[in-house]
Amino acid sequence: MGPVDWTAYLFPESVEEALEMLSAHAGRARLIAGGTDLVLQAQRGQCPAEVMVDITRIPGLDFLEERDGWIWIGPQVTHGQIAASPLIQKKAGLLARACGCVGGPQIRHVGTLVGNVVNAMPAADGAVALFALDAEVEVADRAGRTFFPIAELYAGVGRSKVDPAAQMVTAIRFRALPQGSGWAYKRLAQRKALILPMLAVAVVVEVEEGRFRRARIALGPVAPTPLRARAAEESLQGAPVEEKAIAEAARLAQEASTPRDSVIRGSAEYRRAMVGVLVRRALWEAVFSPFPPTSSGQGE
Amino acid sequence: MRLRFTLNGKPTEVEVEPYELLAEVLRERLGLIGTKIGCGEGECGACTVLVDGTSILSCIYPAAKVQGRTVTTIEGLSPGEELHPVQEAFIEHFAAQCGYCTPGLVMSTVALLQENPHPGYGEILEGLSGNLCRCTGYYQIVEAVKAVIGQGLGLRGQGKS
Amino acid sequence: MDTSALGQPITRIDIQTKVRGTRKFPQDFNLPGQLYGAVVWSAYPHARVRRIDTHTAEAMPGVVRILTYRDVPRNEYGINIRDQTLLVPEGGKVRWLGDRIAIVVAESERQARAAAEKVQVEYEVLPVVTDPREAMREGSPLVHEDRETNILRHVRVRKGDVEAGFAHSDVVVEDVYITPMVEHAYLQPEAGIGYIDEEGRVTVIAAAQWPHDDLHQIAHLLQLPLEQVREIVPAIGGAFGGREDMYIQHLLALCAFVVRRPVKIVFTREESFRNTGKRHPFYFRYKWGATREGKIVAVEIEGISDAGAYASTSIPVLNNAVSFMAGPYAIPNAKIDGYAVYTNNAVTMAMRGFGATQPPVAYEQQADRLAEALGMDPVEFRLKNLLEPGTETVLGNRMPPGTGIKETLLQAARAAGWREEAGRWIRPDLGTPSAPYKRRGIGVACAYKNVGYSFGFDDRSTAEVELSLDESGRIGRVTVAIGAAEVGQGVHTALQQIAAEALKVDPARVRIALVDTSRVPDAGSSSASRHVYTSGNAVLGACRLAYERWQKALREETGERTVRAAYTFHGRDLRPTTPYDPLTGQCEPHISYSFGTQIALVEVDIETGEVDLLKMWTSTDVGRVINPPMVLGQVAGGVHMGVGYALTEHFIQEGGYVRTRRLSEYAVPTVLDMPRELVNVDVEVPDPTGPFGAKGLGETPTLPTAPAILNAIAHAVGIRITEPPATPERVWRALQGKK
Repeated sequence: MGPVDWTAYLFPESVEEALEMLSAHAGRARLIAGGTDLVLQAQRGQCPAEVMVDITRIPGLDFLEERDGWIWIGPQVTHGQIAASPLIQKKAGLLARACGCVGGPQIRHVGTLVGNVVNAMPAADGAVALFALDAEVEVADRAGRTFFPIAELYAGVGRSKVDPAAQMVTAIRFRALPQGSGWAYKRLAQRKALILPMLAVAVVVEVEEGRFRRARIALGPVAPTPLRARAAEESLQGAPVEEKAIAEAARLAQEASTPRDSVIRGSAEYRRAMVGVLVRRALWEAVFSPFPPTSSGQGE
Repeated sequence: MRLRFTLNGKPTEVEVEPYELLAEVLRERLGLIGTKIGCGEGECGACTVLVDGTSILSCIYPAAKVQGRTVTTIEGLSPGEELHPVQEAFIEHFAAQCGYCTPGLVMSTVALLQENPHPGYGEILEGLSGNLCRCTGYYQIVEAVKAVIGQGLGLRGQGKS
Repeated sequence: MDTSALGQPITRIDIQTKVRGTRKFPQDFNLPGQLYGAVVWSAYPHARVRRIDTHTAEAMPGVVRILTYRDVPRNEYGINIRDQTLLVPEGGKVRWLGDRIAIVVAESERQARAAAEKVQVEYEVLPVVTDPREAMREGSPLVHEDRETNILRHVRVRKGDVEAGFAHSDVVVEDVYITPMVEHAYLQPEAGIGYIDEEGRVTVIAAAQWPHDDLHQIAHLLQLPLEQVREIVPAIGGAFGGREDMYIQHLLALCAFVVRRPVKIVFTREESFRNTGKRHPFYFRYKWGATREGKIVAVEIEGISDAGAYASTSIPVLNNAVSFMAGPYAIPNAKIDGYAVYTNNAVTMAMRGFGATQPPVAYEQQADRLAEALGMDPVEFRLKNLLEPGTETVLGNRMPPGTGIKETLLQAARAAGWREEAGRWIRPDLGTPSAPYKRRGIGVACAYKNVGYSFGFDDRSTAEVELSLDESGRIGRVTVAIGAAEVGQGVHTALQQIAAEALKVDPARVRIALVDTSRVPDAGSSSASRHVYTSGNAVLGACRLAYERWQKALREETGERTVRAAYTFHGRDLRPTTPYDPLTGQCEPHISYSFGTQIALVEVDIETGEVDLLKMWTSTDVGRVINPPMVLGQVAGGVHMGVGYALTEHFIQEGGYVRTRRLSEYAVPTVLDMPRELVNVDVEVPDPTGPFGAKGLGETPTLPTAPAILNAIAHAVGIRITEPPATPERVWRALQGKK
């Protein structure tokens, strides 16, 4: 049954109108896009709000494009559109693959990447990939629009610093993967589809003459928010592409992880051990999948 | 609130509460019982319908979202006697047992084939992975989908010994 | 009609409306003036109910009536023993979360649910017992305070001399195996409507596996004569045993009885998970010995089942389980003890296999370990021990003609590439793993299962047949009336084919009447894989009678346009069964059986513990194939449930509270989790007592799947998963232990 608290369902026609609606119902309104998470949260009493402000009909928020040296993704863009986007497959393949792992096809047709970020769950596939891409998030409020590094918007499990009563995410942007870089997205779950990951690892590497020039390693859900394994990344900087360095990075990533015990999704001990396994595998796979990618970015 | 949309090809108007979900409106207000609710949390896929040709989970889809849109349910696939080719294939391949997941799986198949008329084996599995079935083990459903796209049979039943 | 209706891929009788979405399931019915019910469930797994206060709730908008224990004429029920109340009284106990305090009836579902939250209940919380092994001990909290112990049932089997058997054994293997609680997870949540029909009967529309038995239980609860109760069974969205016992029928009947208006109740999936029955977890201890020639000579087994808070069918499930604990093997010396024990966990009940599904997880791993210890191929080892027609089992009965388990093993093993060379069996080459950190393994498992009711309980079914004759006296239309619930397994199509075959008419002329207890006779339950066998025999008998009458009418040129016949089939007339001997367990347990072998090819990731199912081979002895694609559907569906049992499904409770609260927390396999390839071989060793030689089929294909997969994992990486599901973490832990 629907969330009985909802007393109004509104369709603003501009970002400004959406913000006005939020402000008019101070504290009682929430933005909704696909609603695949929000509806459930509302039903379970985890999202007290009476007025739904649906942003999916605001013109001009469905962009998925490369512009000014950035790739831009609008707040109406669904996981399905990202997974199927030739642009993303070509220039940020790990995001296409991560978005292709979310839920089933029907969820991907509706749920948005921006919603994934605002929802701030550490197990969100798309968000983990965005952490590895050093994405920036544009937040609009009545004072204007500001870009934040994605990590700055996470306050804890399911807690975003974006104020749901006054702010709206209007874009995500990140740089295309540089020439010569490779990527991998690895995931561990209780079954092969339709399930949140026990562990997700997104990796981007740039290799030059047999050495890591730079590595980016993002993990989830091993902490209250998606996590960049900074020490592991630093350890790889300038290191030779060989098992020893990669194993050390995997070890450091493991050290940075503080997963919780979950009766359903596995013990902390196991998930921590798996960080090591998956990071190592992801690094090797990334090393051997240099840009431009040979695969379509879909499936294994 | 007044909801106006095209339902199975027909202009439709219905009064709904802001909190109602599409599956409830279809089933309770419009009497279209072919759309099933199996979990109420967008997990099992039994409630799959098409909105503007794309498959969505109507049990977690606010009904308000279909304002002005086109909705196709299982009833819309075969308004008359004649069956949709996907329905024909499901019958031919025994792709339904209890039948509760069937409307959702038929709709997911229709959506898959609209997006990709010639999916490969992996793409078929991917396309059906948002629907749970507890009876069939899925093989005969996959066979039905393959039959629709005019491919050969992959599941080998060796028949009697 | 020239060709036989049997063995043909006759289109399912119910499928056209299912693919159209027009076939109605219980939640699809609505009646004029209908109200909605919402249940107030227990808040605790074990507590005494001090006070129930409905005043606030009664004042809520739309509330018509709140039913409590005071409204139940005779507040006791149970399918085997009456150990449950319909609504828990003040001063009474809740023994699990699924106990009910009240039912709120209101004008809308929302109103009913909102008011249900306002019913105030004062509890005195009691200590819980959730491990049946602890619950057996003296001093453990009693789930039922009027009983001396939590042990609901103990079955003992004593045959031969076990100690001498072990002394005589060259190898002995022993271990503990624990099988998980699992959820039926049928796709259609519990729902229905109760109302008073035009003849004043309390009528329930619900998905029931045994409608006629529900009548007896409802009549007792409401203290009504049987004729005053009626149940109508529309399309059922899966059952798997979960609808064999009442789960909503009694609630709907009570609502209609008290409120005198139609009342609809629909459970959410969360309610279904939290408050309905599950498959029994079993805690097994196995010790088996074999000679170096490869003969199993002694088994000592203890199997303890978690019955949950109420008996439901835990007694017959245990009876059944004990009869299969030694596996499909000829074993001269056996000591088996089975227990069913009350706890404050979810009630456990029938689920596909009815006690025959848990033991193979243990006995087929035991068989493999004995083979390993003897350096013998697992197929070869099994062939030396499998039951044959006439073989004596550990219960002292002899296997009937039609015991085709060896044939299933031979067919499956050959299909999977096993070779026989100079009397030795050799495993196939498994090919190269897909990654350096993956290992391949192949595993085989055999299992068998009774068909029909057992242990002296007569398995009977009644069918009525009506032939409508055309002007020339030919059969125009055939109507079969039988109370067999179509749960999706295809029984109505199978009965249609059996009737068509018996009457030599086109199956399209045969229709199966709606299952409405006021119009169709009792056929027993859709369980025990029995309807094709038992109800098939009933339909066959009725059709043969009708055929004779029709022929007679033709000969005598009576001009009759309608011929009717009814027939009741009694299993006891063919193969009488007997209860367990209390001391030795020796008995004649079952009427009929079906047999199966499955082989799994897996790839195990030695770093993460993930298991990939590459391919499975299945072989089931069904006696006679009635409809090949439907057999395949039952086999593939059985494999699906077995895959979940082996790898992903686990209904988790802690302290009596449910941790897997909904479908998104309970991993039913998706299409991507199934073996990439499934090769099925049907085996037809006829049972001379079955209709046209047919046996049952519904359950057996679920039994060998999990042990075949677990044996394949063991073959791949040398670890034994004794406590499935073999989740990545459990496999990883076992691999860590091995290092």
